[in-house]
Amino acid sequence: MSPSSNEANHIFHRRGAECAENRRERRPTSSALLRVLCGSALRTITLKNAKSLHRVATRCVILIVLLASGWSESLLARQDTLYMSVLNSRKHRLGALDNPTVGLFVSTDAGATWKHRGWTGYIRTFYTESGPDGVLWSACGNGVLRSSDNGVKWRITTGWEVTEVLKVKVDPSKPSVVYAATAYGVFRTEDSGETWKERNVGFLKPFVSDVVLDRSTTNRLLAASEDGVYLSANAGKRWQLTGLKGKGVRTILQHPKEKSIFFAGTEEDGFFSSSDGGKSWQQSNKGLKQLTIYTIACDRSDAEVLFVGTHGGGVYRSSDRGKSWRQIIEGLDNLVVHSLLVLPSNPSILFAATLNGGLFKSTDRGEHWSFNSQEEGQVWGLSAR
Amino acid sequence: MGALGALRTSNVIRFSLCALVLTCVSARSLPAQGESSPAAQFEKRRQRLLDVVSQERDRGFFTVTSKFITGRDTEWAMAMLDSLTTDEGIGGMFYSYTAIGTYLRLKDQLPDSIKRKIRQAYRTRTMYRGDTENHWVMYYTGIYLAAQTWPNEDRSQWFNGKSSTENFKEAEQWLNRWMNITSTIGQGEFDSPTYFIVFMTPVLTLYEFAKDPAMKRKAQMTADLLFADFAVDHLGGNYCGGHSRDYPDDIANPLSAPAALWAWLYFGEPKTELWGETRYHPRHRGGWETASGATSSYRLPEIIYRIATDRSRPYIHTETKRVRNIIRFGPEKNPPAYKYMYMTRSYALGSLQGGILQPIQQHTWDVTYISEKPNNTIFTLHPFYSGKELAMFFPEEQKFLSDEVNRYHLVYTNPNKWNSSSPYEQTFQHKDAIIVLYNIDKEARQSHIDGFFPKTLDERIEHNSGWIFCRAGSVYVAFFPLKPYEWIEEKVNWRWRSSVAKNGVVTEVGSSDEDGSFEEFQHRIVKSKPAFNNFDKTFTVHYKTRRGDEMKFTFGGERTLNGKKVDFRTYKFFNGPFIQSERGSGIVKMTYENRVRELDFNKVIIKEWQQSKQ
Repeated sequence: MSPSSNEANHIFHRRGAECAENRRERRPTSSALLRVLCGSALRTITLKNAKSLHRVATRCVILIVLLASGWSESLLARQDTLYMSVLNSRKHRLGALDNPTVGLFVSTDAGATWKHRGWTGYIRTFYTESGPDGVLWSACGNGVLRSSDNGVKWRITTGWEVTEVLKVKVDPSKPSVVYAATAYGVFRTEDSGETWKERNVGFLKPFVSDVVLDRSTTNRLLAASEDGVYLSANAGKRWQLTGLKGKGVRTILQHPKEKSIFFAGTEEDGFFSSSDGGKSWQQSNKGLKQLTIYTIACDRSDAEVLFVGTHGGGVYRSSDRGKSWRQIIEGLDNLVVHSLLVLPSNPSILFAATLNGGLFKSTDRGEHWSFNSQEEGQVWGLSAR
Repeated sequence: MGALGALRTSNVIRFSLCALVLTCVSARSLPAQGESSPAAQFEKRRQRLLDVVSQERDRGFFTVTSKFITGRDTEWAMAMLDSLTTDEGIGGMFYSYTAIGTYLRLKDQLPDSIKRKIRQAYRTRTMYRGDTENHWVMYYTGIYLAAQTWPNEDRSQWFNGKSSTENFKEAEQWLNRWMNITSTIGQGEFDSPTYFIVFMTPVLTLYEFAKDPAMKRKAQMTADLLFADFAVDHLGGNYCGGHSRDYPDDIANPLSAPAALWAWLYFGEPKTELWGETRYHPRHRGGWETASGATSSYRLPEIIYRIATDRSRPYIHTETKRVRNIIRFGPEKNPPAYKYMYMTRSYALGSLQGGILQPIQQHTWDVTYISEKPNNTIFTLHPFYSGKELAMFFPEEQKFLSDEVNRYHLVYTNPNKWNSSSPYEQTFQHKDAIIVLYNIDKEARQSHIDGFFPKTLDERIEHNSGWIFCRAGSVYVAFFPLKPYEWIEEKVNWRWRSSVAKNGVVTEVGSSDEDGSFEEFQHRIVKSKPAFNNFDKTFTVHYKTRRGDEMKFTFGGERTLNGKKVDFRTYKFFNGPFIQSERGSGIVKMTYENRVRELDFNKVIIKEWQQSKQ
């Protein structure tokens, strides 16, 4: 499927100066400024110093002005680091000298700017995630990649046995433990990628698109397989089909607040939810015109709000935890949405990753969208830290 | 211990002994010396090819290497090599093995500055491993040889963050695994007139430069196997019959396929120099991969040359290969692919059993014949495409895949394409007769079947019996469509098209050798008309060949020959007069007259002997 041809070498072009870009910026960021303003104000108030109160008031006025002038979006959002994995670009041509750079892009300003990290050539980067220790993990055609210096240098941690990796998930409580969901099943490392072990016992069909670590129970996992949802109670040593038998499950998400609730998106059958930890599933497609669900996202500030990305229908929003859906596509030029991201620090901001249309952004919870970056890009995965 | 230090002493001793035995054997089996011997003729063609390639100015490692070896235009070659090693934009699996191959071939002639740049490339370039079998062979060959060349270097010195030892071990494991699979259940990308070259070039590079005698020997045996596999399906430079993968232009014009230039170099056929033949529009000029054969010390065993070129007697040859890795929507990861070949001195009829054995580029069956004219082939297909088919083999989303594949292969969703697998197509071949049936689902995006009939045919006659008769020189083709059809004139061919979903064709091939005149052939054929009463319900066709064999075939059901069920599961890995191998045995035996060459992949030894004449 990749650009494969024997008569034309794969010619990749490096978008220059990424080494310089890779270095952390030294200048004070706006988020730092915000911290200075607020922190200083609070400290000053604590001092109950009348003279300082004037300065506090002045700073508060400045802050209010900044917020009102539209800086609020990026100021608040700058606490997040966003990771965008671009599989390829529709502009890519075999043998062309000006093919776009693909792979991993990082933003620390809510998508105002994106900087490329790591290899510029095509290695089929599907998804990238940062562990709690700041180590980056990428799911790629070449295997599972690891970077401990914010994406400057990478190591392929897997050998020939692991390929076609679609997702990586880091154990938040033990960042040396990472799971890889692949076309050949689940693999697990417990030593930060030095060694990997296949964890496929119990799968009838081991194609796994996604794996979720249950935050409520250590070592409990759910896997989105081509044959339904599989459950493991022992860190993947053994799997058991738990629901949606025969359905191609594309993604699973655990509710950010209620840990017993899970959501699943399927290839042909739409949206499902489970309120008992994934043991039973209920279909809920009211309002969904397209039933291929690639991605599900939650609004952490409102436990009732969900978003799904679909093939052909763009983005849908639910305000009742998935019971009903409303399409929100104004300004969304491409309706094949493979990944969605609600900005953790500012849930008004959403990103929609499309296949062949690039990245879109909304600042009003998805009501309106505008193109953000990666013209004609196949933006496969989004994540945030 | 470094990567090379991992070589076990016992291996060295074992393979030294083997080499001694083989030297003795090889000395016995050397071809007759002299100007006309196959070895001497090969030397001439090898020199000729290097001469031609060294005059080219294609930007590539093979052109550069040829210039250095011939001493022609070396200044330009040096500049080009410098550019290839400096351009950070180039990477991937093609680069992985060609860069190190060029380094190892030319290292005595290269300045240190270029050598350092090549070394640097393996520190910084993106080396995509790829997603096909040929990609991985290229990638791991490159990694193996690079790690061998620069051993004992730590993780910081390699693009992938792995040390020399780690890279060497991984590449060694995978290459051994691939060669074991290839020699026991076959390639996934089998018998491909195009992709043959991207297996041969890395395998020959590995053979040339692997220091481990076991790896070197295994590479030699794999080269033997791939050449022998080609040889039994070879006729006059054409790679005949069913293929796992090929491009439409090469299917419609077999001598334009890259494998034809390898046939010219190693088999001496076709007799013409293809690069001068614009009628074949040779695509193999771009990469000049064949130059890697011309620069290699590998020599084709004479027995394989004889197998490729002796067409004095017709023969049946069957093979089992494997379907490329099925990652979903299938009960088995690598189901068997069955291949049947009937070969004569003037034509070949070959087929795969049908169904989806490979996505995108499958070529299920054809008649290919010797001709001075291009487009020397006839075949039919159902131009199927579906995202689900692609998703069987690729991990991306199935609704996204068709469009994506179309971007690179250009014709995947095209209703007029000339390559396709189809779940609605099945074949049953016996000698030079074949029944091809179609049962196209209502939901299928293309509901027609197409047939390729070249305009270069000398005659094409629609007989009132329902048969269509074709003649190309002394080769005759009888073609019986079960359902109504139309002809569409195109640039180089007539497109035979039938838009009936439940359908089929019966084809029988002959020649003046056996059938006399074209009229006599027609007379023999019309005596027997395929029986297909109630076909839309039974999907069954009976056909009695001109030789009197009775074939009965039901789509999705049985194939019977003279009342006896044909069971593909009885097919061996190779079975024919020239190559024999049990599936899974790892032992491939080639025979020609009283000569035998046996490749034992289990013990990694080659044996040759002469058997007594029966």
